[in-house]
Amino acid sequence: MAERRCKRIFAALSEYLDGELPVRNCRELERHLQGCKPCLAYLETLKAATEACRRFPVGKAPRPSARVRAALLEAVRGARSD
Amino acid sequence: MLVWTYAGKTEPQGHYGEGLKRITQSVAMNTHVEQALEILNAGEPRAVERALETLQSAVYSFGMKFCGNPEDAEDTAQETLLRLARSLKNFPDSRALAVWLYKVAKSQCLMSRRRSKFAPAHMLSLDALMPEPHEAAQAAAKPWPITPEEAVLKREFRDHLQEAVLALPKPYRLVLILRDMEQLNTKEVAEVMEISENTAKMRLHRARVFVRNALEKYFRPASKRRGRNNG
Repeated sequence: MAERRCKRIFAALSEYLDGELPVRNCRELERHLQGCKPCLAYLETLKAATEACRRFPVGKAPRPSARVRAALLEAVRGARSD
Repeated sequence: MLVWTYAGKTEPQGHYGEGLKRITQSVAMNTHVEQALEILNAGEPRAVERALETLQSAVYSFGMKFCGNPEDAEDTAQETLLRLARSLKNFPDSRALAVWLYKVAKSQCLMSRRRSKFAPAHMLSLDALMPEPHEAAQAAAKPWPITPEEAVLKREFRDHLQEAVLALPKPYRLVLILRDMEQLNTKEVAEVMEISENTAKMRLHRARVFVRNALEKYFRPASKRRGRNNG
């Protein structure tokens, strides 16, 4: 990935993954990917890393504290009575 | 037409990134959060308890991803929801309230008592994150051995991924968490972070590349990578 074009492609990969890259740039990027295995492989692993982030699990949250519950229930009651 | 090869599987890919939208598509502000806030705003008594649990879970989860420890995550959830109680009736709609909620959670995380032992203060340079030609060629020769679906089931992989996220400088970490983990869209991330959409996109890309490079080391530990950051 040393070529100038590779650098330009590299900078646009996330926008491409997100479907936020303008169509014209997409065409250029896809043309490049068809002939550049390292860039294509990088895109695949970038996509895989993004998927892993999306699936990252977090343990179960503790229940809201009594203070939080009381404050929010009071706020809801207050909002309803307005 | 491009064909994606991934861990030995092939998948037809549409033009112009369409096939990837299912992976990183923009969705409305975290749907569960918005629904829970709607319930609170409507004041439906029987549903309020469930809405509370949902919000606690969402803010705690955000705190865990950013701070990396349950104590700070719990503090973040508590303080954010207490502030929500004080501000509940000041918002015209649940979306505005959701943006506000993430802003408050973000500020709470930034004030967390226990500083991450990983996080550096510097910015990420895209040039420094770009692989060298020999590294790129090596990566092209062999895909990662398992899919992310399989990988996140492994504790060791999850720890490695969390370490990579916690190693991101805060501005990048926040954008990655909001966009890829909380699944806000770019506009919403920009609103929460109070930055332009272009800046949000730039930070997101660098953060993703940083995490990807860290995972590359996990999957291919023998490979010698640059992985340095500066700028």
